[in-house]
Amino acid sequence: MNQQLLAKTFVELADNLVADFDLIDFLRLLTDRCVGMLGASAAGVLLADRDGELRVMAASDEQVRLLELFQLQNDEGPCLAAFRTGAQVIVPDLTREIDRWPRFVTAAHRSGFGAVQALPMRLRDETVGALNLFHATPGPFDPVDAPVAQALADVATISLLQQRSSARSTVLNEQLQTALNSRVLIEQAKGKLAERQNIDMEQAFTTLRGYARAHNRRLSDVARAFIDDSEPLPGLLV
Amino acid sequence: MRSDSRSARIQVLVAEQAARRGARVGVLDVCTAAVAALPVGGAGVSAMSRTAASHPLCSTDTISEQLEELQLTLGEGPCVDAFTHGSAVLTPDLRTSQLQDHWAVFADAALEAGARAVFALPLQMGAISPGVLDLYADVPTVLGTEELADAMAFADLATLLLLDARIEETGAPVDGVLLERGFEDLGGYRAEIDQATGILTVQLGVGIDEAFVRLRAYAYTQGRRLADVAADVVAHRLRFSPDAEPTRTDEET
Repeated sequence: MNQQLLAKTFVELADNLVADFDLIDFLRLLTDRCVGMLGASAAGVLLADRDGELRVMAASDEQVRLLELFQLQNDEGPCLAAFRTGAQVIVPDLTREIDRWPRFVTAAHRSGFGAVQALPMRLRDETVGALNLFHATPGPFDPVDAPVAQALADVATISLLQQRSSARSTVLNEQLQTALNSRVLIEQAKGKLAERQNIDMEQAFTTLRGYARAHNRRLSDVARAFIDDSEPLPGLLV
Repeated sequence: MRSDSRSARIQVLVAEQAARRGARVGVLDVCTAAVAALPVGGAGVSAMSRTAASHPLCSTDTISEQLEELQLTLGEGPCVDAFTHGSAVLTPDLRTSQLQDHWAVFADAALEAGARAVFALPLQMGAISPGVLDLYADVPTVLGTEELADAMAFADLATLLLLDARIEETGAPVDGVLLERGFEDLGGYRAEIDQATGILTVQLGVGIDEAFVRLRAYAYTQGRRLADVAADVVAHRLRFSPDAEPTRTDEET
């Protein structure tokens, strides 16, 4: 683990957790840094909805295949285990877990992943979701990385409580609901932009995020304005 | 959907109200079921829009009816805030000076009408936001964690019912069974449903609410699961067009 990179990442994350940050944008940054700093091949943040269903809030790649791999874990997999038990689930070699999670291991293998970690997102006595890290090659994880990964999961939890729209509410339920709804909004905007521009879902996401950043706007505000056609958004469509 | 899930339980409560009334499930049944399940005296739903006039849709008693009308007339109150901010507005006691300042006219008028606590839950799915569910109690009231989660599940169901009411307008053959049947496929969140809704706004040249209504109408008429239809749209196996029936292509593009 590169100490300088570690320090830089936490400074960057803290910097982004200021008054007017956008939750989805922030969580995407966090998953990107999981990939860069922890040597993961892919990362995702999953939150449980009111029915206890795990839903993807952010992923280091928005392609359908990766999102499906996260969603699949509503039936079986390390994320579900971490969410249900509130404990870390570390799997250095997925092939050894084929009996435990046959569908998940097969799908992960097909996507080129050999090892996985799931870190619970805990808030007081409750587990609200999990941070999921995928690694291409099996092998033992660096013991130094484990607490860092858990710290990143904790930062993701904190960011939920810091959303602007929830400033009026201290009710966890309501904050989760707001978070899940902003993810739905982003998916709708991705679909519209992908179809309009004939690009894929990952490109649609990065285009929307790039536009929001370049114009110093919140991602969800841009997504909303784009869906509603309520303002011109010059330069978003080429 | 898991049969033991909160959403499933709420759907049963709402369906029971409709059965008692001997009518098809509607937003009124959400209101009466919410009043029966939660520590509130009344409930009402208003249709809200950024572009068109908002109007009350239903209410369970005269106090609820007055609260809906007051807010839409005054343009202020928890329901207006919930719609504008897209988040629930929970007011355990209207008789606090801070709130009386915030909703200068509404707070006093609502107290006068007989409400003491007011809870407004936005009906929404991303950018789709057809209205607000309002609940009131005549004594100061705090909704517990479970009660609030139930209230939100009632609001989710009201959202679908409001949108489903528009399916008939698309020409889809809706018989009485379809609306009940339609809720089965909503369990298990799929990102593809939201993406497909966004895609349809372009293919059909319609707003996001209408795009979702058309997607669901198509799934109904084909007798297919919404998630499966959505996956086909996202994978370009199914394409909608404004002037023709949706076309299927076996090839992925």
